[in-house]
Amino acid sequence: MKRLTVLLISIILILSGCSESADSGQNFSPPPDFQPLNEIVDGRRNIYLIVKNLDSSYWDVMIQGAKDGGDDFDCNVYYSGTYSETEWEAHEQLMDKAAEAGADAILLAPNDSVKLSGKIDEIYGNGIHIVLLDTIANTDSYDICYMTDNLMAGQQAAEEMINLLKKGGVSENESAQIGMQVGAASSQTISERLAGFIQYWSRHAPEKWEIIPDIKCNNGYLDEAIVCAEELLEYPDLRGVFGTNNSSTIGFAKIIKEHGRKDIAVVGFDYSEEMAELINDGEYMASTMLQKQYYMSYTGIETALKLIDGEEAPVKFADMGVVAVNKDTIDQPEVQEALRHN
Amino acid sequence: MGKEKYIDSPKEISGKVSFIRMLIIYIIICGAGVAVLLISFNGLIKNQDRMLTEDICSLVTEKMNSSISYMTGSVENMAAGLSAQGHDDLRELYGILSQDNIGSGYVSMGFIDDEDNIYASGTELNEFEKWGLLDVAKLADPVSISPPYRSGKTGQPVFTMFANYTYGGGKHGYLFLTYPLKEIQNMAYTESLTDDAEIWLMEAASDNIIQCAGSNKYSIGSWNNALLEIRKNIDSGYQDDYSEWKSKMDSGISTANITYKIGSETYTQVYSKINFMYGWYVVVRIPSSSLSSAIQQFRVSVLLFLIIYFMATVIMFAVFHKRETEEKKVLANLSVHDPLTSALNRRAFDFTAEQYVEKSSKNEAALLFIDVDFFKQVNDKFGHEAGDRILVGFSAALKEIFGESSYISRYGGDEFVLLVRNGDKDKVSGMIELLREKAKSVKPCDNAEEYGDFTLTFSCGAAMFPNDADDLKGLESCADDALYTVKKNGRNGYGWYRK
Repeated sequence: MKRLTVLLISIILILSGCSESADSGQNFSPPPDFQPLNEIVDGRRNIYLIVKNLDSSYWDVMIQGAKDGGDDFDCNVYYSGTYSETEWEAHEQLMDKAAEAGADAILLAPNDSVKLSGKIDEIYGNGIHIVLLDTIANTDSYDICYMTDNLMAGQQAAEEMINLLKKGGVSENESAQIGMQVGAASSQTISERLAGFIQYWSRHAPEKWEIIPDIKCNNGYLDEAIVCAEELLEYPDLRGVFGTNNSSTIGFAKIIKEHGRKDIAVVGFDYSEEMAELINDGEYMASTMLQKQYYMSYTGIETALKLIDGEEAPVKFADMGVVAVNKDTIDQPEVQEALRHN
Repeated sequence: MGKEKYIDSPKEISGKVSFIRMLIIYIIICGAGVAVLLISFNGLIKNQDRMLTEDICSLVTEKMNSSISYMTGSVENMAAGLSAQGHDDLRELYGILSQDNIGSGYVSMGFIDDEDNIYASGTELNEFEKWGLLDVAKLADPVSISPPYRSGKTGQPVFTMFANYTYGGGKHGYLFLTYPLKEIQNMAYTESLTDDAEIWLMEAASDNIIQCAGSNKYSIGSWNNALLEIRKNIDSGYQDDYSEWKSKMDSGISTANITYKIGSETYTQVYSKINFMYGWYVVVRIPSSSLSSAIQQFRVSVLLFLIIYFMATVIMFAVFHKRETEEKKVLANLSVHDPLTSALNRRAFDFTAEQYVEKSSKNEAALLFIDVDFFKQVNDKFGHEAGDRILVGFSAALKEIFGESSYISRYGGDEFVLLVRNGDKDKVSGMIELLREKAKSVKPCDNAEEYGDFTLTFSCGAAMFPNDADDLKGLESCADDALYTVKKNGRNGYGWYRK
């Protein structure tokens, strides 16, 4: 009888007491400390640059732009960042550290447009100038944003795709499928490029040229990007692939080259070795949208100093534009200038 | 006349449906009842949720559309008012009005004349070029709305409304006002559903979506594509429903709804066409759980109550059962045993012995009829209490010697009957001899002076099964005959039945 009673009471306690405890532990790597980019001179303004990825040629170019800006406009520049573009919490820590270190301005390429908005509000509210680079945040609490208008860049990428296919002899009456893959699905940059591409496509592409609804997501990892690219090759009428970011584009370029698929157009972002190979080969249909990240940070330093001196930003949002690099444009001066800083 | 059925042994009682079986049946019935209740409850909640979310989504879309219509109405009225004033020089008018903005929530305004000259700031002129806004203006009938785009002036997503405007004595131009997308967010705001309702603007042709409201205020204005943001996440079983829902939008049907699941959550999603924003729709999505959370809490409370009630009844049954079992044990004991000596009573002995005899046709057994000698004299001489003591002591001696292998019964008064199982004559005779020795130690009282030279003796008649008789009545008769002979020969002895 006692055992029965204990059993029943235990069941009641289990039923009434069951609850899941949420695990709110940190799951990001602590970011490295800020390092000086140029010679630190007492009395000069201190500007802190926070980038998304310290292990990327794209962000190396942006860091170089900030260094050159610091040298040319006479200020101290420090930099740090993360090794994964999803670690927005690490960006919060870096912003706090920069503020504690006495930053006059922070140049920030936010890892997450949405989740970092609260911290940006807080830092900007404390009187520190904020210049956003590459990616805008969903808040008004910043001075100016230098970036690619990704919606427009996506549209330009779609225009490139249509041009490549037409030049490649794909008829408007012919069925053609376009495969796409994205990096981190939560990135506003990538979402806007995707939206821009599809928007332009829906208005200008021939009716029989369709986008494959299954948009692949590689979470920013190259090995996943390659798997996604392989999967898309199985579509029978695949005639074009669009990579919304560097890893997606490299994944496509690698697979197209590996399979020798000169009948499939590759349009992507950033100038990687893999895309350069396709473009320089001359036989492949390939075009990549080159951002002007060097000038984002270089101009960002110049503007930050003006802001510190009390000037107002001319606009809140400055589209730096993109240039399309393909076998026809690669020798153009504007493209060469963009490539020089890549 | 039918034979009346008596329960003659406790074993018969235990042979009925046991308490544990009854408990299991009770648990099964209660469990089934709770399961039926929960299934009905869940079905009710689900149905109610679906109807409510559909209604709420429809109301929110109507609210959004009404608010946008109010804005377009304001732009239209402003254009009509300015037209009525009969201005000739749009550049001059723009110079005056642009100094005077900002009003009614818009961030900038301007004009387009009949030669497509645009009167706006430098940043806005770039945006006209970039986003093809002139083409949107020409759709005004009498108003048109641009798709959202990012404003250079504010850095935030905006949209521009165009209205037909007449100036310079009949020339046709357009007035435009640019609003932050947050204006729509403000319209979409519904306090009771702040954390649950998601509202997007969606372009049918591209599947592009712009978030206008959601649980995270910072996600407002985010561009995305429904193929990635919504469709990719929907469970495969609902993909066809989604395609059908989307094809209704593509074919221009002004509103439609859908219910689908993403993981364990059920969503209801409704779209409605936006007036003057051609090809664009407002889409509202609400998870069913947002409505049913209160009902679900109630369901958990009911369930908890039922479980506690159910367990309380089980405990109560168990307690009653325990008490009843103990009472039955006492009653059973009283009905089977002689209360004085604890030996079986006559009825119990007859029943048990008969069962044994019926089932053991091969094994030998002995039936003994024993009378305590001169018991009446003991009573008369030492009193009834002493008599009882003799009976108890003698019974204890019987149990000590025959207990393991016999059924021992007090038939009444000083008369005992035993059935010795699996016993041959020699073995039983030996046991009787032992009993004779043992009986000598049974005294009517403790005081030796009082009982003096009292020695307890008995007379015993015995019969063997199956040699002397093969049924109990026959055996009893034989043993009785043997006892009679022993008594006749002067008592204090034993004898076997002789045919």
